[in-house]
Amino acid sequence: MSNVKEQWGSRIGVIMAVAGSAVGLGNFLRFPGKAAENGGGAFMIPYFVALLLVGIPLCWAEWAMGRYGGRQGFNSAPGIFSVLWKHPLAKYLGALALLIPMAVYFFYIVVEAWCLGYAWNYLTGSLMLGKNPSAYVDFFTKFTGSAKDGALFSGTIQPALIFVAITFLVNYLVVYRGLSGGIEKFCNIAIPMMAICAMCVLVRVLTLPANPNAPDQTVVAGLGYMWNPNFSALLESKTWLAAAGQIFFTLSVGFGVIINYASYVKPKKDIALSGLTATSVNSFFEVCLGGTITIPAAFLFLGATTLATFTGNAFGLGFKALPNVFAEMPGGQIFGFLWFFMLFLAAITSSLSMLQPVMAFFEEGLGLTRRGSSMLMFVITLMGTGFVMYYSGEGTGMDAIDFWAGELFIVVLALVQAIIYGWVFGIKLGQDELDSGAELRVPRFVQFVIKFVSPAFLIWILIATLTSRITEEVPGKGNLRILDRLNNQTQLAGFLIVMGSLVFLWIMVFFAGQRWKREGRA
Amino acid sequence: MNILGWIFMTLSMLSVLSLVVYCVSKVLFYAPKD
Repeated sequence: MSNVKEQWGSRIGVIMAVAGSAVGLGNFLRFPGKAAENGGGAFMIPYFVALLLVGIPLCWAEWAMGRYGGRQGFNSAPGIFSVLWKHPLAKYLGALALLIPMAVYFFYIVVEAWCLGYAWNYLTGSLMLGKNPSAYVDFFTKFTGSAKDGALFSGTIQPALIFVAITFLVNYLVVYRGLSGGIEKFCNIAIPMMAICAMCVLVRVLTLPANPNAPDQTVVAGLGYMWNPNFSALLESKTWLAAAGQIFFTLSVGFGVIINYASYVKPKKDIALSGLTATSVNSFFEVCLGGTITIPAAFLFLGATTLATFTGNAFGLGFKALPNVFAEMPGGQIFGFLWFFMLFLAAITSSLSMLQPVMAFFEEGLGLTRRGSSMLMFVITLMGTGFVMYYSGEGTGMDAIDFWAGELFIVVLALVQAIIYGWVFGIKLGQDELDSGAELRVPRFVQFVIKFVSPAFLIWILIATLTSRITEEVPGKGNLRILDRLNNQTQLAGFLIVMGSLVFLWIMVFFAGQRWKREGRA
Repeated sequence: MNILGWIFMTLSMLSVLSLVVYCVSKVLFYAPKD
């Protein structure tokens, strides 16, 4: 049998943990770039449509399925899926909800380490390189090893390796301490700290005077660059796809995290209000803070032309463009530190949530202790992260895993969850589950949305994503992008790692199924 | 920033802020304690 069942220590704790999982680098780096290049303020129309039609309803569905599964004694997606859908295949579909957080962790931890490394370098003054854009590009290239594959493993020990080791250690120390003793306590401190750092940077950015070298580059003009609506963008499907993708990315929908976290909520405790609160906290960080810091600051010091080259590239915006801004900003060293430390906190609260779903499965499916599941997960993630770090040339290793796990499978899992909730588990049971202990009445039409609108929307996203990836032109590589990926050695290796991880998880799920059958649980 | 930019920014932020204030205040002040 599984160990003593873990539960959240408090209501605030679970909200903080789910919000912490959702608030990540995408809120501050990806969202403003996507909005600016897809219609500015007009982008918010598809953004809110996707939030209402897919984001919030699917979050509620995941909360409901998670707590229902938790009540039946399961915390991992394979177990929860097997009680929601009494079919031998169900638990294998649940393996997707383990694969995605695990595979995304492989590279997310590396970016998290970059944030910590940049924060440290600001604290020590090593990143105050003056008004020299190429110096920051060189620093990024050297620090991340993006010049060529194996760059981080040649010569002396590279700083990035040390920061990855530290972030690994911190992550595992926190998750090893358990749900309420580790993740919850950490998020209860990290989220307010993150908000304070963000507010400090926000106040600094909004009070900056106009650029003396270019008087038309003001904060207000920067806000205009981000928010002035371009309604013609609404006629393009890519705008709607970008908005829907952003909602997925930001809310951790179809990620396997919410369903796991919700399974630890006590029976008869509210999930409707908790779910909406976590979603709204995430939106606050994204729209109110992410939408007012990054682009205006970058616009003020870099101007529209230079900024336009960075908006489609979140890492470029965060790690190459913004250091130029801090170099010119009064008090740039301390604000640079606050900014990257805030990004580190945003990242670590997300990476912690990627470990928990898989470890919960190892514990309840394979009968491992917390120590055993931590060790097993540590070895697996070390191998995956090792791949990403070795194939660091132009970030190809990272891109390969992100494409399959973070872009494609995430939509597939969301679709599977919407279908299981709407068509197998049933919207009547779903509504009853949401209503149980609810402190907020979830409107009935939400069930209709989850059953009909969300799956249709998700199928459209899946088809549009696949179509764009097949026909999208890649400079120098022709236009069959997915096939190009499989012709490239590193891309193929990344694909095989993701698929190999899925096969490994399926084998583990098979053994877990045997175990649950012996115990009479499934 | 043009007038539409101000309107979109203000409306977006007000929507999100009102939602977060509503939810957080309900959790903190109106919901039964754990």
